[in-house]
Amino acid sequence: MSVTRRSFLVKTVGATTGLMIGFRLDCAANVDEATKVFSPNAFIEISVNDEVRLWATRSEMGQGVRTLLPMVLADELGADWNRIIVEQASPGGKFTGVRLRTSGSGSAVGTWHTLRVAAAAAREMLIAAAAERWNVPPSTCDTKNGGVIHRPSGRAIQFGEIVIAAAKLPVPKSPALRDPKDFSLIGKPIRRLDGQAIVTGRAIYGMDVKRPEMLYAVLARRPSFGAKLVSFDSEQAMRARGVRHVLPVTTGIATGVAVLADGSWAALKGRAALQIRWSAGEGAAFDSDRFSADMQRGALLPGYPIRRAGAAEVEIASSSRIIDATYEYPFQAHATLETMNCTADVRDGFCEIWAPTQCPEVAQQETAKLLGISEDKVRVNITLLGGGFGRRLFADYVPEAVELSKAVGRPVQVLWTREDDMKYGFFQPPDIEVLRARLPDKGVPTVWIQKSVGSNLSMFGIPSEQDAKELDRYAKDGSPWGVFDNPYNLTHLTADFIPFNSPVPTGPWRSVEYPGTVFARESFIDEIAHAAGRDPIELRLAFLEPGDVLDLKVQKVNRARLQNVLHLAAAKSTWGSKLPTEKDWHLGRGVACNVYSEDCYAAHVAEVAVRRDLSAIRVRKIICIVDCGLALNPLGIEGQAESAIIWGLSSTLGGKIHFKNGQAQETSYSDFEVIRMDNTPAIEIHIHQGADSPGGFGETAVPGVAPAVANAVFAACGKRVRRLPITPEKLAMA
Amino acid sequence: MPNFNILVNGSRRSVQCDADTPLLWVLRDELQLTGTKYGCGMGVCGACTVHQENRVVRSCQISIHEADGLSFTTIEGLSLDGSHPCQTAWIEEDVAQCGYCQTGMIMEAAALLTKTADPTDAQIDETFSGHVCRCGTYQRIRKAIHRAAASLRS
Ligand code: FES
Ligand code: FES
Repeated sequence: MSVTRRSFLVKTVGATTGLMIGFRLDCAANVDEATKVFSPNAFIEISVNDEVRLWATRSEMGQGVRTLLPMVLADELGADWNRIIVEQASPGGKFTGVRLRTSGSGSAVGTWHTLRVAAAAAREMLIAAAAERWNVPPSTCDTKNGGVIHRPSGRAIQFGEIVIAAAKLPVPKSPALRDPKDFSLIGKPIRRLDGQAIVTGRAIYGMDVKRPEMLYAVLARRPSFGAKLVSFDSEQAMRARGVRHVLPVTTGIATGVAVLADGSWAALKGRAALQIRWSAGEGAAFDSDRFSADMQRGALLPGYPIRRAGAAEVEIASSSRIIDATYEYPFQAHATLETMNCTADVRDGFCEIWAPTQCPEVAQQETAKLLGISEDKVRVNITLLGGGFGRRLFADYVPEAVELSKAVGRPVQVLWTREDDMKYGFFQPPDIEVLRARLPDKGVPTVWIQKSVGSNLSMFGIPSEQDAKELDRYAKDGSPWGVFDNPYNLTHLTADFIPFNSPVPTGPWRSVEYPGTVFARESFIDEIAHAAGRDPIELRLAFLEPGDVLDLKVQKVNRARLQNVLHLAAAKSTWGSKLPTEKDWHLGRGVACNVYSEDCYAAHVAEVAVRRDLSAIRVRKIICIVDCGLALNPLGIEGQAESAIIWGLSSTLGGKIHFKNGQAQETSYSDFEVIRMDNTPAIEIHIHQGADSPGGFGETAVPGVAPAVANAVFAACGKRVRRLPITPEKLAMA
Repeated sequence: MPNFNILVNGSRRSVQCDADTPLLWVLRDELQLTGTKYGCGMGVCGACTVHQENRVVRSCQISIHEADGLSFTTIEGLSLDGSHPCQTAWIEEDVAQCGYCQTGMIMEAAALLTKTADPTDAQIDETFSGHVCRCGTYQRIRKAIHRAAASLRS
């Protein structure tokens, strides 16, 4: 592939710095005369002292992007792996117009080609410079370990010695990319480069930022949705030792009262002493149990068409063997271990921000808007993220720190307590799927009718009426995920979407819309299989015949790849073999599969044990086959898949968020239960490379967990749980 | 303001703050030892785990008043250069995802191995039941503990 239309390769050379190569998105070549530094993106810089510097254009939140990008660079350029320095890109400046947002499992997919082309161009220039010096044909040279080598003679020269000469050469327009079989790092298991900093406590997350003269702040926030600050009395709070200011915060969604102090504890004590009056807002009565009942009734409303094939309604009317089921998925929180926080320093018409953010561009824009200054006066430093999972795609925790710093003229760090973090999140919205099917006759695809009741705002944050009406756009984008891209080959298929929004701020949560819809779809397939007396894997494979590519216009589903991961899951789990008999436990296996956003395929097999008196459920093992195409770093992919499985398991067996009186009731990990060491199953990941290009892998392994476990529970004890989470109480009622 | 003295990573530190200030905030805000993390402030996540002599404490649950005169080790003092067997095992097993919980996990593991040279999975499960890793790195933590235990025994 050549360089994309709107970008072209550029170079620059500094007298002392060496060669820099990158992409620009516009044509206005822009050399800073003072520093002789050019401002490209996807930026690499090779210095005269052999250092290779790489700017990471995604935030590191555990997905390993700060390891993956150097791997790509080292292989394509032939750089010395140990001499690559990773810098974190900030929005603006040379990264103006460059996407820095980290989302949609796109860290690898969105950057790898661009980086390869930039690196390949640099390689060709370095080779050309060395070849000229040696007076040999460039085709006889290659790069390796940070130098150019002349293959016939074995002569070698370090990059640093020739970068100045290389930088004077023209930039190749379409540099040839290396043959993947020549990669020495890509495809190998490579450990995280940040590992040492993490295990020694030197890694800097947002909350670890310290600035001279910095004040620590916490906010008292709304008691219910839509509540507005009426008045407050700061007298008691100001008496707490170390408290410097008590200020109202008026920007951002979480308006409230801030206590600023010399330390976090003083700020917390001050907050506890505040007296605040709030007005009751519109959402003050919101109750998630009532909302769930409303959603159930919502399934009877006319829906918006998502998929149509054949004549499902007609067919079902004349069928006798019909199966119905309704599945429910509740509100969930991100609960990243590092709570939200931001440090801001506003002074002299300039603002510097330190934030663990997945959306630095938004942080920059909102800050500029708030302060009435241009974006180039706002510098956003992205720290490491103590978990992202979509929560940090919102910059709501940034403006409050900016406003406070401006007010007091000092750097301010706003800390969210765990309870703040639980209550003021952007939650995963609930989902109800009402399904109806005709049982399959031999070889005849079934009839499938689906009503999907959920939020079309799961990615939008604060619900707005405008967004709520934009159903057209929603469906055209391929939503709801898991319903729209149902991979099964069903002759008669009707799927409708019924929007159901609440006053709860919602946002993308690891794997976004898939968890609820895939739980329903993959449980229902299982129910069909059992009702029809078919094996659940065999039935899925049959429904994926003829293994073709389903073209849904905005997205394609490769059924053969899904069949392959299912075959592998069957093999690796010895599917069909008899599980042992245990005195106190029923044992069972369950399967599920899914395609995530067209290029990542996964199949899960769960092995569970249910105590014979139904008093306990143990997930003993999860086997997961992931096919996200070219596996750039298998160790990283395995780690992300293990992580995704625990994530999925937390919402399968653990907590959920309840709202009462317009407020989340959960306060911490004590009442929002997540998986811990003692309920971690054995996890086995197998990577299958079903394509030559890389796909995203951060979320792929989440959605299949809940249905695989639910199906395994059914196989074990004959109880079908259709409302998550799966608990012993629900088993007793099933 | 009251004055308190604690020994942290072998050095005597004197701090002035309210008696009820949790050790966590003394370490992080006063002493700038930010390797000890805040995750909940309620004793339910384990991110703030440090050693007091040979036992683990949740630094968010002990006040500076209670800590006065005692000796603590934080992740910064576990080894000079990241060479504690748990630290190296953590790297070998590529445990960390976001990494935020890991300093607390490592402190817990290091303390466990001083008491139990070769812990079973059941002992590990029990010891770590007070820790949360939202990134779900538990399986690799188990492996890293076994690896560290093996290297300590050899
Ligand atoms: S911060 Fe101390 S246990 Fe969570
Ligand atoms: S590695 Fe992210 S919380 Fe444990």
